[in-house]
Amino acid sequence: MGGKRLPATGGAGKALHSLGRAFISFFTQFYQDIKEGDVWVRLSLLFFGAGYFGRKQIAKGALVTVLQAFVFIFYPLALLPSLRKFGTLGTVKRAAVFNSVTMKNEVNNFDHSFIILLFGLIAILVIAVVVIFWVRNLHAVRRLQVLQESGKHVNRFTDDIRELFNQKFHITLLALPSLGVILFTIIPLLVMISVAFTDYDKTHMVPTNLFTWVGIDNFKTLFTHSQTITFAYSFGKVLSWTLLWALLATFSTFIFGILLAMFINNRNTRLKRLWRTFFMISIAVPQFVSLLLVRNFFANTGIVNTLCTNIGLTDFLKQIGLLSQNYAYIPFLTDPNWAKAMILLINLWIGIPYLMLIVTGILMNIPAELLESARIDGANAFQSFRKITMPYILFVTGPFLIGSFTSNINNFNVIYLLTNDVFVTKDQLLANSNAQEIDLLITWLYRLTQNFYNFKMASVLGILIFIICAVFTVFAFRKLIKGDREERFQ
Amino acid sequence: MKIFKQIVRHSVLAFLSVFWLIPIIWLVATSFGPDTGPNIRTFFPSGMSLVHYQTLLFGMDDVARFPSWFRNTFIIATFTCIISSTFVLMVAYAMSCMRFKSRKTLITFASTLTLFPGFLAMIAVYFIMKSVGLTNSNIGLIMVYSGSSGLGYLIAKGFFDTVPKSMREAAYIEGASEFKVFTKIVIPLSKPIIVYTVISAFLVPWMDFIFANIMLNSGLSENKTVAIGLYAMVDKVRINSYFGQFCAGGVLVSIPISILFVIMQKFYIEGVTGGSVKG
Repeated sequence: MGGKRLPATGGAGKALHSLGRAFISFFTQFYQDIKEGDVWVRLSLLFFGAGYFGRKQIAKGALVTVLQAFVFIFYPLALLPSLRKFGTLGTVKRAAVFNSVTMKNEVNNFDHSFIILLFGLIAILVIAVVVIFWVRNLHAVRRLQVLQESGKHVNRFTDDIRELFNQKFHITLLALPSLGVILFTIIPLLVMISVAFTDYDKTHMVPTNLFTWVGIDNFKTLFTHSQTITFAYSFGKVLSWTLLWALLATFSTFIFGILLAMFINNRNTRLKRLWRTFFMISIAVPQFVSLLLVRNFFANTGIVNTLCTNIGLTDFLKQIGLLSQNYAYIPFLTDPNWAKAMILLINLWIGIPYLMLIVTGILMNIPAELLESARIDGANAFQSFRKITMPYILFVTGPFLIGSFTSNINNFNVIYLLTNDVFVTKDQLLANSNAQEIDLLITWLYRLTQNFYNFKMASVLGILIFIICAVFTVFAFRKLIKGDREERFQ
Repeated sequence: MKIFKQIVRHSVLAFLSVFWLIPIIWLVATSFGPDTGPNIRTFFPSGMSLVHYQTLLFGMDDVARFPSWFRNTFIIATFTCIISSTFVLMVAYAMSCMRFKSRKTLITFASTLTLFPGFLAMIAVYFIMKSVGLTNSNIGLIMVYSGSSGLGYLIAKGFFDTVPKSMREAAYIEGASEFKVFTKIVIPLSKPIIVYTVISAFLVPWMDFIFANIMLNSGLSENKTVAIGLYAMVDKVRINSYFGQFCAGGVLVSIPISILFVIMQKFYIEGVTGGSVKG
């Protein structure tokens, strides 16, 4: 699907340094603005709109004043109560209390830990935004003062609006999408990262129960192996399978996809479009249809098993020892090892056509004169593949390869749709921490939340997935950029 | 000798194609068969029948509500498509064609955000949506799908990067505003990537399983999207009575999606690989 987003990476140290400098200049400027500003500027410290009224920017001043009034009225009502309880995430448990006036049992005024966490975080964010706005606003009105004193043109409201469609058009463009990202990604992520430091699980479900901060206990649990806690064992197993899967899935589809694309693109192949269409049909069908279908195709009592028994393959596998004598069928998706192999194979079935499509586009773009001159120089087909085609493909698809490694780490569909309800682990240690042999970190996380309401451990896993992906991406891009430079030298 | 090679080459391709198409053929064959459960005896069903299509479209019960699933998904997809395409193109233009102070920071920040598993944020989004009563509703899903869509701007940005700078500069000199350059110059030149963005946004609700599965938990079948509805049909307890209908539904939903997908791929290749060489 989407998922081909690539991060731009810069030196972390450099970023930190420039961040520090920006921070210092932010406040020295603030100090200077107060010192040099006139009465209107200083008044803006209290009434944000004052500086605009002073320069006859009535509309802008009114807008800022309304905004300020809104925040200052709304904040104590909606956010402050949650911020007060943020340290404990609530203390009053939900209970039925007898009301002597109405003679009925009524629910008390209980604390809802999740709401307190959510609104508490929003309260902190709002404070940060207001402070930044306060300082920037002061600088803006100070600039207006300077403009007026030097007799230059002071923007009227219509000028400001016009700027928003010209020099400042990016603000107009980015405003709504950013709001969406803040509401649907940033705030939820902050909430879930915080949950990793609480005891929010099925014994602390809101609204009937409360949950509270527990520090890094959950991270300790993840690396604990004891009689009752087996998270360390499960985490080791799941992590190693996740990484193995991501590696194998990425490279197997990559290599076979390139081979298939080159095979079809070969001069001697007729009806190229027809072949491509055949392979494309299998990925054009939505994955939930094709994967759920394939899962029944390979079921223990499914059609493939019937066919395998009929042609004697099941017995043959038993004879050569690949299949235990206890089975009357091939456990394609129910035995850990068979399931892992099948998942990789079925992933090839989905992944190869994708790679074929992408590589076909790239192959068509290789400058023809490059291959032609290689041929004249006496290079054979293999040499020109190794020296021209392959480096070219790697150069263009390099970022894509990194992206597909991280998206394979998070490849939920293949594993979940193929094995949910079908695969049941027999490993008690894994089952104890709700994991399975075929689980990736992401499917484990999903199962923890949806089936077992273990939000605290799920959040810990989520943070670890992020760390793994981030470390890998930064590392891979470093390598890639270095490789790119070398290529330029040659 | 050459003819022999040709025959081998094309037989290999034919063999692979058959291998790739087997599940699809089985899907279509089963959907036109008479068995309600999965056919486990023979590859092709014992007879021809349209019964699954008929019950799926006209004989609704508590489990199978295909027409309402299709309508829900279509409504969600249409609105998601409009909102996300607009967001993506807006962000892509700002990041590609404009230069402002925080641009680099924002790009790095956006890339970092996408490294978090999207599902993690989803858990909190679910609780937030639940507290405002938007779970199990089309509006809720539209918000979920299009809310953060601005983060998927990179492919469109890659394309905008290849629009020659001189064209924009000529327009600035003639006094065109940034808004005019965006709507009158860059957008008309970007047909492949716009088609790609629009179709891929439209396809998200049809293909998504994981987000919809969290947001739709009322158990009411008529609220579901196609993906969730069909998934419930192959549940352990239902598979033996609904597998035929699942296949029929799979065929019905795959036809429009496949067509859109093929169109999208064509424009993707045109837009992306064409761009990578120029820029």
